[in-house]
Amino acid sequence: MPQLRFTYLVCFAVLAAFLAASAAQAHHGWAWATDEEFEITGVIQSVRLGNPHGEVTLRVNGEDWVVEVGQPWRNDRVGLTKEMLSQGRELTVHGHRSAKEGERLVKAERVVIDGKDYDLYPGRAS
Amino acid sequence: MIEQALVSVENLALVSALRNSTFMYPLVNAGHILGISLLVGSIVPLDLRLLGFWRAYPVMVFVDVLRVTAAIGLALAVVCGALLFATAAADYARSPLFQAKMGLVVLGVLNAFTLGRMMKRQNIRSLPMESSMPLALRAGGLLSLGVWISVLILGRLLGYF
Repeated sequence: MPQLRFTYLVCFAVLAAFLAASAAQAHHGWAWATDEEFEITGVIQSVRLGNPHGEVTLRVNGEDWVVEVGQPWRNDRVGLTKEMLSQGRELTVHGHRSAKEGERLVKAERVVIDGKDYDLYPGRAS
Repeated sequence: MIEQALVSVENLALVSALRNSTFMYPLVNAGHILGISLLVGSIVPLDLRLLGFWRAYPVMVFVDVLRVTAAIGLALAVVCGALLFATAAADYARSPLFQAKMGLVVLGVLNAFTLGRMMKRQNIRSLPMESSMPLALRAGGLLSLGVWISVLILGRLLGYF
């Protein structure tokens, strides 16, 4: 009997690992986004800054897009402040959009405010 | 009203500081993971012993040691978890994954207390070596295994959906 139970356990562990792996692909890093450079401009509707990363909701041609900006230190490093990312400001985002079809989600590499560049990921081409 | 209470939690000075911190947030995150690893790392061998693994070793060795480390792990995970929750309380509270996770944590804790009481009542300390555990304890052990691993998986999924 213990052998049978062990088999169940192994199956469960494999299932859990698969779940975890597919979920991991869905979010962190860049694997969840398309490789294509993406650009979008809109007006900020709402903002939630802070850890694990900030989220800015952008109204673009009547549709809301969620833009992932940096965690606090990454925004601070390029001088992006709370005031610059506040409601009503116009924002151009360069980055990568979600690979999930129909999902209006972009991870920002660089944002442009009033013609000035704020490069969140200086090591990445944007 | 609950929504308002959650937002005021988010706006507490300590919570704001944590949300906007450079190192505190990942450190609290690490504390949460340490708590979970202690909890799950203790509860898995304990439950497996109840289910019949390692019968050559006295069951009370597992129970006496691993219940303590599991409880310490749970306490650490709850404290750090509450801080992480507070940084985005309203968002977490309305997430079905979070609600399910909290439900399972409560179930897991109740199950652990019930198991503790059953162990005393059935006096497993005086069972002969190598004997298999009473059915109720095996069932409780299996439930515990399923519940805590599910809690871990739900917690991880929370970060992605």
